[in-house]
Amino acid sequence: MNFVIEVKDLKKSFGNKEVLDGISLNISKGESYVIMGGSGTGKSVLIKCILNLIKYDSGSVKINGKEISKIPQKEMLKTLLKCGVLYQGGALFDSLNVIDNVSFGLVYGYRRPIKEAYKIALEKLEAVNLDETVSTLFPSELSGGMQKRVALARAIATDPDIIFFDEPTTGLDPITSGTINELIVKCTKELGISAMSITHDINSLKYISDRVGLLYNGKIIWEGNNKELNSSDNPYIRQFISGNPIGPFTTK
Amino acid sequence: MVVAKFLEKIGRMFISFLTSIGSISFFLVKTISAGVCPPYYWRQIANQAIQIGYFSLPVVGMTAIFTGMAMALQCYAGFSQFTAESGIPSVVMIAMTRELGPVLTALMVAGRLGASMTAEIGTMKVTEQIDAMTTLSVNSYKYLVFPRILTGTLLLPFLVFIDDIIGILGGYLVCVHYLDFNAANYIHNTFSSMTAWDIISGLIKGSVFGFIVCVMGCYHGYFSKRGAEGVGRATTNSVVASSILILLLDCVLTFVLF
Repeated sequence: MNFVIEVKDLKKSFGNKEVLDGISLNISKGESYVIMGGSGTGKSVLIKCILNLIKYDSGSVKINGKEISKIPQKEMLKTLLKCGVLYQGGALFDSLNVIDNVSFGLVYGYRRPIKEAYKIALEKLEAVNLDETVSTLFPSELSGGMQKRVALARAIATDPDIIFFDEPTTGLDPITSGTINELIVKCTKELGISAMSITHDINSLKYISDRVGLLYNGKIIWEGNNKELNSSDNPYIRQFISGNPIGPFTTK
Repeated sequence: MVVAKFLEKIGRMFISFLTSIGSISFFLVKTISAGVCPPYYWRQIANQAIQIGYFSLPVVGMTAIFTGMAMALQCYAGFSQFTAESGIPSVVMIAMTRELGPVLTALMVAGRLGASMTAEIGTMKVTEQIDAMTTLSVNSYKYLVFPRILTGTLLLPFLVFIDDIIGILGGYLVCVHYLDFNAANYIHNTFSSMTAWDIISGLIKGSVFGFIVCVMGCYHGYFSKRGAEGVGRATTNSVVASSILILLLDCVLTFVLF
């Protein structure tokens, strides 16, 4: 079976702290995989290791069959162009307005003419329910929800094969969270894009996931689909879903 | 025991110093190797050229005019004791072109632009904007760092040249309009003692200082850590390192050039 993401025995430590301790996972085409886990368990580090933004200590990561830490930088950047990322804080470029943010990958990555890139950017803004009037605004002039939507438009602007969502609904109100969840589902189901998300928002997780993995102590200690998640009697899963402070899960 | 601890501390500082030099060299190699290969980001280079070459003019001009004026007044206080006032124009000119022009311009640019480069790149680093750039397939060294270092190295000599002119003008204003010097004599004395090397040596110094300011500004910003506090610390380190290196290299270059 062809996987778009293949992670094998991935390990990463910061000093003496072992953050990822032998993670293995595969994501197939069109699948939405969600990693859940408490704060500080290394979910964001996992995504950054997969994207080669952080060098991992050992193991292997393949995106579309290519081990990106072992290929030349030019080829690595090309491979990354097929990956969209929605960062936790949006990570919009402060010095650029909305349209320049959304068209950034098209103009500087794909070297498309500006006019054409702007046209695509406006289409993507429309896809995330934003109209042309926001295109000249700067990120600091947008609300949190709008920033997330612009960041999502930027993530899908280059028509990626895989999108990474880093806590897409954190800090948003339930209605905006719902809108973001719908947009994520629209991306994965309608556009056929594979997705890897990290979240601790249970409602969002149930809505957007095909498969779920629970990260704890640097390892994926449970994996299953949505149905299995609801019926699981795994004490870690039960505690995480119920939010009970007493149980096997300890926060450090 | 105390001596051992002291030596250990010295050793650690020396190792840390060498590590920094290695890290800056690696940063430069990465930047230059990325920057010289096409495609070129002309828009970014033009933006930086405007920031460095145009928006720095007011601060550089003000520094130059006041320095030139103060220099003329100080020289007058000393030279008038030996009735050697005619030497003031050439001293002001030599001081401005060889020394004060490049050093003061570089220090002002380090305070204005070096700090802003560190703060901007540092904020981009801690808010994941640089990561976002990488995942959008854009080399951040090429997009953010190279245009700044290139324009800083090329345009600081231009600022130094403007600083020289305004500084000499400051001396002229004080001497002619306050100390009642003859205007024609002042101009004649200034230009008769001027050589091309006075100007060129100052421009060479300016180029080296521009390179240092931009490298320090970008390097400290790029490796900022730990949020707003980290960016603040990186900005301070960038300005301090730039200023010390400017003064150190000024001494070295003066030995080499004269």
